[in-house]
Amino acid sequence: MSKFLKAAFLALTVFCLSASLASAQDAKAGAKVFKKCRSCHTIGEGAKNKVGPHLNGMFGRTAGSIEGFKYSKAMRARGADGLVWNNQNFIEFITKPKKFIKKTRMGFGGLRKEKDRLNLIAFLKAQSVGGKASPAADGSAKNEETKTQTKLLAKDVPVPSHGILHLGRLAQLDEVAAWDIDIRPDGKGLPVGSGKVSDGEVVYNENCARCHGDFGEGIGRWPILAGGHDTLTDERPEKTIGSFWPYLSTVFDYVRRAMPFGSARSLNDNDIYALTAYLLFLNDIVEDEDFVLSKENFTSIHLPNEKNFIADNRKDEAHRAIKEPCMSDCVAGSPKVVSRARALDVTPDAKEGESVE
Amino acid sequence: MSDNKNTTPASNDVKLGRRQLLAGGLATGGIAAATTIAAAASDPLITEVQDWNRYLGDGVDASPYGKPSEYEKDTVRRNVAWLTADTQSSINFTPLHKLDGIITPNGVCFERHHGGVAVIDPADHRLMINGLVDNPIVFTMDDIMRFPRENRTYFLECAANSGMEWRGSQLNGCQFTHGMVHNCMYTGVPLKYILAEAGIKTAGKWLLAEGADASAMSRSIPLDKALDDCMVAFKMNGESLRPEQGYPLRLVVPGWEGNMWIKWLRRLEIGDKAWYQREETSKYTDLMENGIARSFTWAMDVKSVITNPSPQAPITHGKGRTVLTGLAWSGHGKISRVDVTIDGGRNWKTARLDGPSFSRSLHRFYYDFDWDGSELFVQSRAIDDQGNVQPTKDQLRAARGVSSIYHNNGIQTWQINPDGSAENVEIS
Ligand code: HEC
Ligand code: HEC
Repeated sequence: MSKFLKAAFLALTVFCLSASLASAQDAKAGAKVFKKCRSCHTIGEGAKNKVGPHLNGMFGRTAGSIEGFKYSKAMRARGADGLVWNNQNFIEFITKPKKFIKKTRMGFGGLRKEKDRLNLIAFLKAQSVGGKASPAADGSAKNEETKTQTKLLAKDVPVPSHGILHLGRLAQLDEVAAWDIDIRPDGKGLPVGSGKVSDGEVVYNENCARCHGDFGEGIGRWPILAGGHDTLTDERPEKTIGSFWPYLSTVFDYVRRAMPFGSARSLNDNDIYALTAYLLFLNDIVEDEDFVLSKENFTSIHLPNEKNFIADNRKDEAHRAIKEPCMSDCVAGSPKVVSRARALDVTPDAKEGESVE
Repeated sequence: MSDNKNTTPASNDVKLGRRQLLAGGLATGGIAAATTIAAAASDPLITEVQDWNRYLGDGVDASPYGKPSEYEKDTVRRNVAWLTADTQSSINFTPLHKLDGIITPNGVCFERHHGGVAVIDPADHRLMINGLVDNPIVFTMDDIMRFPRENRTYFLECAANSGMEWRGSQLNGCQFTHGMVHNCMYTGVPLKYILAEAGIKTAGKWLLAEGADASAMSRSIPLDKALDDCMVAFKMNGESLRPEQGYPLRLVVPGWEGNMWIKWLRRLEIGDKAWYQREETSKYTDLMENGIARSFTWAMDVKSVITNPSPQAPITHGKGRTVLTGLAWSGHGKISRVDVTIDGGRNWKTARLDGPSFSRSLHRFYYDFDWDGSELFVQSRAIDDQGNVQPTKDQLRAARGVSSIYHNNGIQTWQINPDGSAENVEIS
């Protein structure tokens, strides 16, 4: 099919066909699914334990049995009970990890689509023996697609009436709703829902604490989320939700769009309300464990540092007035070194220095 | 140190006439005198036939997509492991000291991700426009390719470039102190053409741009800027965007901080107010000494750095003829002048700008001089066509303190030692 005609098909919104025609157990498609796991797992040559254990040789192995990896008690218990990974129990696990192993440490919501699960298995098996996924399945599916579609002439493709160049198509309401998840300080965009501090603690301990710490103090170099009050004028300010952020809406918006890191969009809106309430609690902004944050009372909460932001005023800085800089005999005496990188020696391969954001 | 301003001829503007170029002219011209010194023994690389001169090399099918020479292994991006907890929310740096001219090759353009590199089949990519518009619209990549295109060369600098240097010299090499910048020619569509397909309502004042990656990166941009010179780009330096630069589609926000150049661009929303996203509140706000923070500090100010010599690129040839070179840029316009000092700011000479000069693009400067082998303190100072002069680090600290992380465009000093090695220092 020519490129041009393909574009014509897109305009007619038959573009979803190619994906659904892919054959059932497709390792190449599974490679795409594995992207959801990659932030925590590796597989193939040189695979190492990361946030999760490496997945080489996983099928046929006892659950929770890789030496040197710190599994949850729950995962080790299932291994001790004789759980050996096979197609069937893996599918059950990966559909909803927390349903299959209630207290697993794996912060992953699950794979909803049957097709994804099957393709993933094909991929994991292909990678595990070091083999490469074969592209054949994908290719043959494409040929079929070409065969089943009747030819369309360019002149028969309708041109939409919107806009100036009449490009693109009108978005569906549910499409806009699926992607438009931003929230503003005035509350615009907040979904219906609510959550209690004490419920937020449970969600937090399960999904967030391993990086951000039990009290939001941040483990290692993972970001700190709480504390730092009155440190903004210190030598080393600690910028947290409580000490620095201007708006609570940003907490809800950001946690919903990007956290937990590596498994974004896996929590529901009530969980996010509960987490936001718990983050207020960790920052001493609410003190009652029974406090419920909801769409209704959201904008009544103000963060302490809101007033301390101003617009960009760099143009008023004194040095901006200098238009013709000095060219000769600008400084008296010879140069003296007052600071040198070697004194700190934090250039790569050396020890830790000051963090960037 | 010795008084370099007297021993160094002002030979930045070398003018070779026909007479000097002819035989004999060089001897009196003195420029190439050092190269006529007789070598102690003859060079076997010349006197013996080399393998590459006898045997056939690879054919045209050896490398369908070409790679740099195997002798350029050091021309690579590098990261600084201790800066961040993992590599998915992290940065690496452009090897500025290995490059010349003004264009950054695609494979070494620095990377900054907040959720790793999203890998998206262009057939699966969608761009949505919604909010205060007449019609919310969805585009496929095929649709995007049907808009009129433009080609523009712009630098992209992370607002945190040089951010580790606020409290004093920290990293030894311009790759690490200044390498969060790159410069590419983008092919794409002016944003205003794309937005016109949805029709912006008169109440629209702001644009939210959002990425399709695991951080769903999002920033508020004033609509005036969006309609002025922003672009939606699909090519960089002639080829498709690299995955790590937002393939298949990224926003180009000329002269403004790199974080706003949303990669894997999937949504543009028109609104009447800013959204105050995480990257414009918790991050990319500049904390002043008095505890007040500036927000929406978008433009990247006038800046320059000497890339050679520098700590990763010492002088290895002894005294005599030396090429000093570097980069200058400004988010406000073109670079009109770069001054260079080799005596730590006591005296300055205007460097030679060479190569194309575009607004909001990197500019290349050279200062050619005879090094007398003594200790030097080299600095560069850029001036843009809006009259902005690059400040010293101390001037910036006086205005802001040391906690602001972002927008450090202060003058950089390299100490050149008598052995040719170089170090990141600050001087009084
Ligand atoms: C956010 C990080 C994260 C993501 C994403 C993730 N995992 Fe895990 N995974 C873990 C952790 C942590 C464990 C250990 C769980 C425990 O000890 O309870 C684990 C355990 C496992 C195990 C058991 C391994 C063993 O040795 O018994 C399998 C199988 C597994 N994950 C597969 C997957 C697959 C497939 C995906 C992608 C669809 C995925 N995981 C996504 C973190 C993750
Ligand atoms: C695997 C480690 C990990 C887990 C688990 C995790 N985060 Fe994060 N979090 C990060 C990283 C990394 C960042 C910074 C991302 C970036 O650079 O953009 C971050 C940033 C944040 C921030 C913004 C911090 C700031 O100062 O700007 C908040 C708020 C946050 N996370 C909340 C949460 C919540 C709530 C959860 C649980 C639902 C969670 N995180 C789970 C790693 C994690």
